[in-house]
Amino acid sequence: MHLEIQSERNGSGGSVVVAGRFDAHESEPVLTSLTALLADGVLTIGLDLSRVDFIDSTGLAVLTRVMKRARESGGDLVLVAPSTPVRVILELTALDKAFVVSEVGPDIAVGH
Amino acid sequence: MSAAVNRLDGGEVSAETAPPVYLPSQLDQLERYRQWATTPLKVDPVLSVVIPAYNETQRILPTIGAVVSHVCSLEPSWELIISDDGSSDGTRRIVRELGLVNLKVIETPTNTGKGGAVRRGVQAARGEFILFADADQATPIEQLELLLGPVKTGEADIAVGSRRAGGADVRGRSLGRRILSDGLRRLVKLGFGLSHGDTQCGFKLFSRDAAERLFAVQRIDGFSFDLELLYIASRLGLRVVDVPVRWFDSPGSTVNGGRDTLLFLVDLGRIRLNEALGRYRDPGHCRRNREGT
Ligand SMILES: Nc1nc2c(ncn2[C@@H]2O[C@H](COP(=O)(O)OP(=O)(O)OP(=O)(O)O)[C@@H](O)[C@H]2O)c(=O)[nH]1
Ligand SMILES: [Mg+2]
Repeated sequence: MHLEIQSERNGSGGSVVVAGRFDAHESEPVLTSLTALLADGVLTIGLDLSRVDFIDSTGLAVLTRVMKRARESGGDLVLVAPSTPVRVILELTALDKAFVVSEVGPDIAVGH
Repeated sequence: MSAAVNRLDGGEVSAETAPPVYLPSQLDQLERYRQWATTPLKVDPVLSVVIPAYNETQRILPTIGAVVSHVCSLEPSWELIISDDGSSDGTRRIVRELGLVNLKVIETPTNTGKGGAVRRGVQAARGEFILFADADQATPIEQLELLLGPVKTGEADIAVGSRRAGGADVRGRSLGRRILSDGLRRLVKLGFGLSHGDTQCGFKLFSRDAAERLFAVQRIDGFSFDLELLYIASRLGLRVVDVPVRWFDSPGSTVNGGRDTLLFLVDLGRIRLNEALGRYRDPGHCRRNREGT
């Protein structure tokens, strides 16, 4: 598998951990698990990106889409502890200004 | 439920209330990147990374991000060269606007093909070692070290990423693409005596000397330039090592199976012809001959 996804719900908040390569092959399952949380009434999702080594433009599009949808219903998509490449990619695409980035977040362990 | 998760409840976290707190190692990595991005190199770099780019507005920025964050943590003395191949979609502009001081954009008015873009990029490179890599991160940049190792120690002049060498890990390649490349590989072996498992992988590293000699005589502008390079290398007696790499086919690929196979076959003929016309003679060798007469 390129990417591992773990999602968990905590009251009105949700946390999702993804690890690996977040590219066009993987954007669909991430979109599905994030939108499933929103559809389930979750307002704010913390998305842990600390172990994502690459995110391409399709991955970035998924993040933007989910963030917009979450904000529409008064919540947000918070990017938690992005890895260095993800931070730099967000900066170069000027998306760092669009997202809330947090250093603390869900503590779900992703199994191997 | 952890305290950390609680903080996310109700959307209370905002950019103002949560200033970034980086891990020490990450702070170091980011600091190296910022240093590289803002301080021009004073001497020729140890490493040049060349990325050919044709209409890559969708893919180039994430790739640059991955490349700069990785290479900066490995080797502070390096330059990035984006060799724009006459793109019509604004690729040059978005790359230049990044304002990274050790990133050079090479331009050409018309589209020539990948071979031409790589050649112009490599000829502009000043590094002691020169890597070229595709704009789609198909071969993740983390594998640079695997190629750099044997060339740095002097064990090889050229290290080529191989999707076929033992241990390579290829994801997402369609059956059609695999059958096609299998057939072409057999042909290459028969016609050119080259036994590389994979001539076409867009991830190759050269010593400066090898790059100068190869690109001085290399002339194919299209996709078969890879094969031409390896053929010239074998003619010049350069040592080439195949290095297994992980590879991810990207859905944005611009390769068209039927048309490109045909072009490839035509190019095989051109390589043969160039060889017969003596066009691949070592430029160093020609000079010595001329001086002698
Ligand atoms: N298609 C194409 N690519 C070019 C050209 N000039 C430079 N390139 C670059 O060459 C690289 C290869 O492009 P890809 O579309 O990924 O083709 P590929 O890697 O051979 O094919 P895949 O194995 O399917 O990924 C990219 O970095 C392109 O931007 C050109 O004229 N045509
Ligand atoms: Mg490719």
